[in-house]
Amino acid sequence: MSPPARLDDHTPVVLLIAGPALIGLLVFVLVPFLFALLTAFTNLRLGSPLPLEFVGLKQFTRILSDPTFVRAMGNNFLFALIIVPLQTALALGLALLLNQGLRGTVIYRTLFFMPVVFPMSLVAVVWILIYAPGPNGMMNSLLDLLSFGQWQPRDFLRDPALALPAIMLLSIWQGTGFQMVILLAGLQAIPQELHEAAALDGAGHWQRFLHVTLPQLRNPLTFVMLITTILAFRLFDQVQIMTRGGPDNATTTVMYEMVETVFTRQQVARASAMTVIFFLLVLGVTWLQRHLVRETREVE
Amino acid sequence: MYILIALTFAALLFISGCTDTDNPEGHINALAVWAHAGQERERNTLKSQVARYNKNHPQHPVRLTLIPEGSYNAQVQAAAVAGNLPDLLEFDGPFLYAYIWQGRLQPLDNLLPETLIDDLLPSILQQGSYRDHLWSVGIFDSGLGLYADRSRLVAVGARIPTLENPWRQDEFNNILQRLVNTDPDGQALDLKLNYGGEWYTYALSPLIQSAGGDLVSRGEVYSAQGSLNGPETADVLHTIQRWIEAGWVDPNIDDAAFTSGRVAMAMGGHWNYARYHEHLGEDLLLLPLPDFAYGSKTGQGSWSWSITSNCDNPKAAARFLAFLLQPEEVLAMTDANGAVPATRSAIGQSLRYRTGGALQLFVDQLKAGYAIPRPRTPAYPVITAEFQRAFERIRSGSDVQAVLDEAARSIDLEIEDNKGYPWLFTAVERQ
Amino acid sequence: MRLQRSRVGIILSYALLTTLALLFFIPVMMMLAGSLKPDERVLMEAGSLAGFIPGEVSLQNYTDVFNRTEFLGFLFNSLFITGTIVIFGLLVNALAAYAFARLRWRGRDLFFNLVLAVMILPLEAIAVPLFYGVSLLGLRDTYLAQILPFIANAFSIYLFYAFFIGLPRELEEAARLDGASTLRTFFSIIVPNSKPVFASVAILNFLMWWGAYLWPLMVTIGPEVRPLPVAIAAFYTLPPLQWGDILAFSVMMVAPVLLLFILFQRWFVRGVAATGIKG
Repeated sequence: MSPPARLDDHTPVVLLIAGPALIGLLVFVLVPFLFALLTAFTNLRLGSPLPLEFVGLKQFTRILSDPTFVRAMGNNFLFALIIVPLQTALALGLALLLNQGLRGTVIYRTLFFMPVVFPMSLVAVVWILIYAPGPNGMMNSLLDLLSFGQWQPRDFLRDPALALPAIMLLSIWQGTGFQMVILLAGLQAIPQELHEAAALDGAGHWQRFLHVTLPQLRNPLTFVMLITTILAFRLFDQVQIMTRGGPDNATTTVMYEMVETVFTRQQVARASAMTVIFFLLVLGVTWLQRHLVRETREVE
Repeated sequence: MYILIALTFAALLFISGCTDTDNPEGHINALAVWAHAGQERERNTLKSQVARYNKNHPQHPVRLTLIPEGSYNAQVQAAAVAGNLPDLLEFDGPFLYAYIWQGRLQPLDNLLPETLIDDLLPSILQQGSYRDHLWSVGIFDSGLGLYADRSRLVAVGARIPTLENPWRQDEFNNILQRLVNTDPDGQALDLKLNYGGEWYTYALSPLIQSAGGDLVSRGEVYSAQGSLNGPETADVLHTIQRWIEAGWVDPNIDDAAFTSGRVAMAMGGHWNYARYHEHLGEDLLLLPLPDFAYGSKTGQGSWSWSITSNCDNPKAAARFLAFLLQPEEVLAMTDANGAVPATRSAIGQSLRYRTGGALQLFVDQLKAGYAIPRPRTPAYPVITAEFQRAFERIRSGSDVQAVLDEAARSIDLEIEDNKGYPWLFTAVERQ
Repeated sequence: MRLQRSRVGIILSYALLTTLALLFFIPVMMMLAGSLKPDERVLMEAGSLAGFIPGEVSLQNYTDVFNRTEFLGFLFNSLFITGTIVIFGLLVNALAAYAFARLRWRGRDLFFNLVLAVMILPLEAIAVPLFYGVSLLGLRDTYLAQILPFIANAFSIYLFYAFFIGLPRELEEAARLDGASTLRTFFSIIVPNSKPVFASVAILNFLMWWGAYLWPLMVTIGPEVRPLPVAIAAFYTLPPLQWGDILAFSVMMVAPVLLLFILFQRWFVRGVAATGIKG
């Protein structure tokens, strides 16, 4: 960012026009975060009559040795590991299908994008019905139909092996449209000449996809994957409404543990320590992703 | 232009400030009351009681806020830090001791008429007393038992148990087995697994206690180590886990396992009676919980009322409480929610609960010591939270002992972190 | 040869798109159909084709929703909270972005780095301290606690910034030569030339706050200032559990936004798409 030339110092007017936003960011983002950073080293509780004490790293060592919290982090990683490639691939597939200039594209795009305007809490409540156990449940009977009667009805949200995948599925349903639209815009921005030139060189569909489409989509793809990863680490609404972290901690997440800790158990300090860990996780993932993407770019 | 922005901003803040519903300043004489949003009829009854009361007490009208049950305690705790508690607070009984320890409540001593106190059920007084003061009273108490379909019990040749002579563990297992064998879907028992939450602690504690275990040892200092993860507790939870894994327990996802005839027996509370009676009529039986070694036990305690230390007119608050405890108001509420009336005079007038009534068993259990209060300690919120999570995991097939060990460790750590909950209370002197 | 292959490709594309679209549409269809039939039939028929056919249409569930909840109040709360955040957010964040993009001032680089640093930081990362602060100040259960902390938004500032920096400088030069103030230049030159980014930021923030659940769950108490996403979850836990009513609530909850979406689809799609290009 080079300073604009031939302009005077605008500090007074900037105080007025940028002031509200900057104060907002300071007061509602930076200060709270620093507060969390500090309280993570205390025993602060909501409403406790006991005096405040500094306890050093105790909150951190406890959290990191708490099997439930470790499981929560693991679930977040698992969720991201599966959701990010799957959802991105699905979104990319849909975007490619819709980018052929077929008739009715708008209708299909509308249908795929529609779930995006559904609040996640609503989606979670409605999908509880979809996952209803017993042979009458919608998902059960759909799977029964698809497997020609081989499927044994399961209680998805109560099954430690199925609960997280069940939540993944509805998250994909709700979120894919968003990514699809971004990728579709990215596809449409690719100059047609590139494809034509590649075709003249004798490149087939697949080769053009690999050597023209993908590199050209790098920015939107990175963005989409970054957003989805962060969403995966924020996972909360579905868990809180559908499974409350269960069964057997199979769906608990860092965010769910954090809210439980501060809201249900009033342990502000412990939850602050979780906040710090959450922040580091998001930061680390972002850095890693940027880093990895840059590497591959250099290889090309 | 800039002034315009500033003005709209100010206006926005003003609008937002005005709609601050937590702020009692706007109604100096109003009595702010929080209660849980229970069943529909319960909600409506409380609303009409408030309306009735307000008509006769226009100088101290009650302003009622209903809060969803799921996050009730969290809401109260968060409001308490800012001194935003209402004057009169309803809460789930066993949370009382935490509120007292934090200094949130005023004792009710001398605020309610003697005759009214004498009229209360012993279980209500037991729940509401702590450190030589009466802090809280309930309008009703709870009843917990086993509902059964008489014809299905008869069909498998089961004996009908009584409070004096309940089913022993092996007898119960035997009957359950026979019911399962004759059940079309093999699910014969409803444990209300769909309820989750506080239900687990409330309903499973008596079974654990009947086997000789408990959630915590109840000495001077409460401790979970050895109780919650002791062999008696683990045994009971193991048995339940086996029933669930064998497919004997209906998950009750639609809350209709018993009413639709899918199961022959359903563990349940007073609140289930009306609907069950409607569906089963004369075939409906209410039985005591089985005896796992130390006699049949049952739960007690329900929503309870206290005056907060925020309240500067405790007399007005107590007046509303006394109003709710009048026999006709108690009955209005218990007719709506089916609970056990908290006063003997109301019980005497209740068709269901008076001697010979369909639910007399619930009263007998509460009067004769079959009911055990949940642990009366400021640590209760964490005890129940850990137990609920532990049972969630157990019902999903986790290793019982490992889960209980983990829960016991967490509870004891929490007690230790709070330095054993030293008595710091000052509000008594304030009075 | 080539033509033939693409015809097969087209048929395959349609088949794939239609199958996926049907799968995507199933939950919506079930919601609609279920909201129109008696509660007990919803669960019973969810697994059969009847799950998608209302049979005898009845609006009973819809009247139930109005009788059992304060639906209109929740709707107002959601609209008011989301609307206020979006409108004030546009103003405040666009102005800040303009200051970053065009003006020279002390501390600019420092603040810009702050914006970049917290841009990817989701609200959840500060929910705990914010919750503590709001509780301590007694601001729970207010509109204020649901609005004020979220007006300033680093990601919005970044999107505006990225757009403004690409605007040709000549646009403003003329205005400045006429002696227009900075604010005047902003409102008369920048804003009219930046409609796409305003639409994009507005739509993104609308989607985000319209669906927000975690924060309002923590800071609302009674139904007075409760927004729809918390209201539907509370309704689901409010006994008795009646699926027909819940689906009717759901339909009414998405209907206004769905209508907006279908009317302004072009803007929605462009708005969302615009966020990715620069990423």
